[in-house]
Amino acid sequence: MDVNHLTDQQSMYDIAIIGGGVSGLAAAMYAGRMKLNTVLIGYPPGGVIATTDWIENYPGFISLSGKELADKILAHAKEYEVDMVFDEATEITRDGRCFTVNTAFDEYQAKTVLFATGTRYRKLPVPGADTFEGKGVQFCGLCDGPMFQDKLVAVVGGGDSAAKEALILAQWAKHIYVIIRGDQLKAEPVNMERVKKTEKITLVFNTNVTSIEGSQGIEKIVLDQPFEGKNELVVKGVFIAIGSLPLSQLAVQLGVKTNEKGEILINRQTETNIPGVFAAGDVTDTQFKQAITGVAEGVTAAYQAYRYLGGEFVCTCVDDDYLDCPAAPEDLRGRTE
Amino acid sequence: MSEVPEDIEETVVQRFNEELKDPVKLVFFTQEMECPFCAQTHKLLETVANLSDKITFEVHDFVKDKEKAEQLGIEKIPAVAILGKKDYGLRMFGIPSGYEFQTLIEGIVFASTGKSELSPKAEEALRKVATKPVKIQIFVIPTCPVCPVLGAMAFQFAIASANISVDIVEIAEFPHLAVKYDVVGTPKAVLNEKVQFEGLVPPGQFLTFIQQAAQGSPTGISPTI
Ligand SMILES: Cc1cc2nc3c(=O)[nH]c(=O)nc-3n(C[C@H](O)[C@H](O)[C@H](O)COP(=O)(O)OP(=O)(O)OC[C@H]3O[C@@H](n4cnc5c(N)ncnc54)[C@H](O)[C@@H]3O)c2cc1C
Repeated sequence: MDVNHLTDQQSMYDIAIIGGGVSGLAAAMYAGRMKLNTVLIGYPPGGVIATTDWIENYPGFISLSGKELADKILAHAKEYEVDMVFDEATEITRDGRCFTVNTAFDEYQAKTVLFATGTRYRKLPVPGADTFEGKGVQFCGLCDGPMFQDKLVAVVGGGDSAAKEALILAQWAKHIYVIIRGDQLKAEPVNMERVKKTEKITLVFNTNVTSIEGSQGIEKIVLDQPFEGKNELVVKGVFIAIGSLPLSQLAVQLGVKTNEKGEILINRQTETNIPGVFAAGDVTDTQFKQAITGVAEGVTAAYQAYRYLGGEFVCTCVDDDYLDCPAAPEDLRGRTE
Repeated sequence: MSEVPEDIEETVVQRFNEELKDPVKLVFFTQEMECPFCAQTHKLLETVANLSDKITFEVHDFVKDKEKAEQLGIEKIPAVAILGKKDYGLRMFGIPSGYEFQTLIEGIVFASTGKSELSPKAEEALRKVATKPVKIQIFVIPTCPVCPVLGAMAFQFAIASANISVDIVEIAEFPHLAVKYDVVGTPKAVLNEKVQFEGLVPPGQFLTFIQQAAQGSPTGISPTI
């Protein structure tokens, strides 16, 4: 079917996908395949997965780097007619049932919007963390690890991301202390094994960092529990891996409902509370956040947008009675937010 | 990586066949002694140049061809100037290996097409802010997967504005610059020696930094990724 004729005017997209991580890219690939007039607005391309060195749980690929995976999905999406804008969406507004997405320079109109905006790193709320951000307080082992060649570093966090950061840093650092608030490292079993086998990594349990101190650069971190008899640890770098915060502000401004964590609430069809607005990936309230789950939600969202647009029939977002359009799928008809 | 792996080579050849337009000249500066990465960089660039008959490869001795080096603004090695129909000001210092190989390929494609992928409005905004020459240095390392995003964006600014020139610097090879510019994380950008920022910034924000550099006003640092 050719959905292009659904377009009211040349500049009206069927779907605007916000975010170019794996969830958004997968959605773009599917939307392009279904011949939805698609624009993806995302910056930076690849999203958070590009900052991790190895992915071993994405079906079909035994092992590949995060950047490779993102590049493959990007290349796949580019096989179809999809407009890609590598920029930040700064504002999204709704006029009737149409949406306008603004970037710093341009404006895009669409009948549906998919939020695949992911997350940003959570910062460590202790004195010194802001002062030394980018000057020793870092968030990406792959990007910054070589600057800590033969130096002592700390990773703060107790999840799988912290384990992976420590393993990445082990390529360069002299020794890595993983500071864990709880009494265990909650990593994937395979990463746990690797951490245990890496002599350079020491796990410090039941401990919080209370401040990061130094003058020109970081000299030490202060701990709330003694470690090897002292409440401080001499390190040159502190890598933060304490989870992330959903980038859902634009969605919230549009009236999209979120939970107390700020994650966008979606149903199994990836629909939000607003008709024509979908969400996928790490920005949503899905519990298990992985590349494959985000990709699955992305393609579900593309399909749902396709259905919402009335399939092969002409239903346009400028019609007030759009959702009563006989072409709209029965279960969508009459739906209001 | 000193030479190009086969599967990557195939993709690059295809891309070059589809996208290269005007001839590109890779002008490489090297010397035999005291340059640990010169030989490897030489081999890599030569291999890349052989992937398209639109690319020519020129080798210069950094010391003996001082005049040429000065003319192209090369003050450290290994270095390559990526020249298209004209000199758009695209330079890479240090070996463009690992993820930086991508930046090299982007640079070649941009120099050959002479076109950025910026929207007309973004190009117009750039022209308005880049009223004076702005030299953008971007410090990177080969393992940094997000660095090519910033490098490619800066290259596009250079393509779109004659006032912008870009040096991509592999910082591990130039530790004295890491000290001078206080580079702890990558990517880090320094504009006209005055304005600096760390991490990735979207195009609009990058333009603000260019404006500040053109106006000569120093700024602080705005870390993101
Ligand atoms: C260290 C680490 C290791 C991991 N390892 C694995 C693993 O081994 N296997 C696995 O399956 N998963 C892994 N994950 C999780 C996986 O990376 C994520 O679940 C997945 O990448 C989420 O993709 P996304 O597209 O939903 O979000 P993101 O990757 O966060 O992408 C969202 C993108 O949208 C952009 N964006 C946000 N707002 C805007 C805006 N206003 N305008 C334009 N663009 C915007 C963001 O900048 C970003 O580029 C790991 C995560 C981390 C941090």
